[in-house]
Amino acid sequence: MAYTTREAFFAFSRAPLLTALSILTITFSLFSLGVFGLLVLNIQRYLTGVEERIEVIAYLEDQARREQVEGLIASLKSRPEVEQVSYVSKAEALERARVEMPENQELFADLDVNPLPASIEVRLKPGYRNDPVISRLGRSLEGAGFVEQVEYGRDWVRKLDFLKTIFLALGLVTGAIFAAISFVVISSTIKLVLLSRAEEIEIMKYVGATNGFIAKPFLVEGFAKGAIGGLIALTLTFLAYTFVNGRVIEVSFYSPGLAAGSLFAGALLGMAASYLSLRHHLVEW
Amino acid sequence: MQVIRFTDVTKSYGKGAPALQDVNFNLRKGEFVFLTGPSGAGKSTLLKLIYMGARPTSGEVRVSGYSSAKINRREIPHLRRRLGIIFQDFRLLKNRTARENVAFALEVTGASRTAIGPKVQRTLNAVGLGQKAERFPNELSGGEQQRVAIARALVNDPFILLADEPTGNLDTRTSLELLRILREINSLGMAVLLATHDYTLLAEYPEARVLHLVEGALVGDTANPALRGPEIPAGAPSPSRLVSPQAQARTAVGAPRLEAPPPASGDRERVRVRGSV
Repeated sequence: MAYTTREAFFAFSRAPLLTALSILTITFSLFSLGVFGLLVLNIQRYLTGVEERIEVIAYLEDQARREQVEGLIASLKSRPEVEQVSYVSKAEALERARVEMPENQELFADLDVNPLPASIEVRLKPGYRNDPVISRLGRSLEGAGFVEQVEYGRDWVRKLDFLKTIFLALGLVTGAIFAAISFVVISSTIKLVLLSRAEEIEIMKYVGATNGFIAKPFLVEGFAKGAIGGLIALTLTFLAYTFVNGRVIEVSFYSPGLAAGSLFAGALLGMAASYLSLRHHLVEW
Repeated sequence: MQVIRFTDVTKSYGKGAPALQDVNFNLRKGEFVFLTGPSGAGKSTLLKLIYMGARPTSGEVRVSGYSSAKINRREIPHLRRRLGIIFQDFRLLKNRTARENVAFALEVTGASRTAIGPKVQRTLNAVGLGQKAERFPNELSGGEQQRVAIARALVNDPFILLADEPTGNLDTRTSLELLRILREINSLGMAVLLATHDYTLLAEYPEARVLHLVEGALVGDTANPALRGPEIPAGAPSPSRLVSPQAQARTAVGAPRLEAPPPASGDRERVRVRGSV
């Protein structure tokens, strides 16, 4: 291991320009990937925020009996997709309306009877906030005889589902393209390094070095370059984020876990690209 | 004991004439053998087949128990550690000192650092470069660089030293000095296969066995009186023109004169000398 590390870092000091160039290309390809990732991440977060507000509301007929309503609430609570069920009485509905629509104070004051129905509000667990689940729940609520109307913005949920799918697909495809470009760029710079050291590799083979022995320092070098390039790219992405955040729009950054994960992924990318270039060099005997 | 055996070996690259054709010979433990022939005769290809840098197109090459027909890629490095190889262009790592170049051959075998240091120093001393261990290749003369390459080849205690035109870049005096070193190494029991078209070397060591290649065919083997081979075609450079007067005396027209193999020098003597290095 000592030999491998020594050789890998010897390579850095021996060809500083080539090393700097490969780190720079890795940095820029990972930076583009990072910025794009941030864009997708924020769109996804925004859409998830919208999704959290999805709820199904069943407006009850005034004649609905207390035990019927309690029975319905209990059966809703037992469903696996349901996160929370809350009962809003007629009085509470009126109170809410008063708070939410202060401009209609006079109208509310003149009321002799409360025209607003009681309702049951159902919130779904994450992962169930999609059109098929909501439609099924809506239909079963409509089936109860004492429910006057069910409201769940079905078209709206459908559009949201569609948007989420589109952005996820777009994110995955574009991310994959960016990653592939990074991979090609990294593997080309490493190929350059390998070409500059082709003679050395050949000599290593003559003296009986195994392919593994020859490859290890290059893999460590690729890993280190990927990690350094990744760190710089992450820093640049963070700077870009602080520049945009608040000044242009509110955006969020990668979670620490995701940031650490991307850094590691960058290092792995560097190593994998090295491996691929090496395989080409080492296979012939 | 045979350490190398070529059986009906043919090697072709692409569609042209084969680089080697139907080559048969054995090489015994501790032998010193010249491999001669004009440029392009197939000398380097023959050496390449020995260190399994290429596989024969047909036939079989056996090297110390490994067969070209059966060896797998993972075994090749282990075979090469048992061979010492030197080249015309030395092939030293330019950014490493003489010591590091030699140590490198041990590092690849996974030898411990404590074992590497003393062994490298001993080997550099043996080739007379003990005082120049910290020099880089460009600070050494051609002859000295070749001696570093020899030290690198020897440091793993190979059973044979393969030398591919090792004097090609050296002047006559340095070439003869190099030959002296190779003979000394050989006297310690290590086989030497020296590919060269420098016939002054042959003249200097007339007792050595000579294999002569022409256009890929082994046309002469001084250890094999049956192999007289075809005449060299008219117009091709004849070794006899290149050979020094002493060597010419033992060279037939077109190919080295075929003689009985030299009597093997006593094993007892080798054992004694081996201990002295």
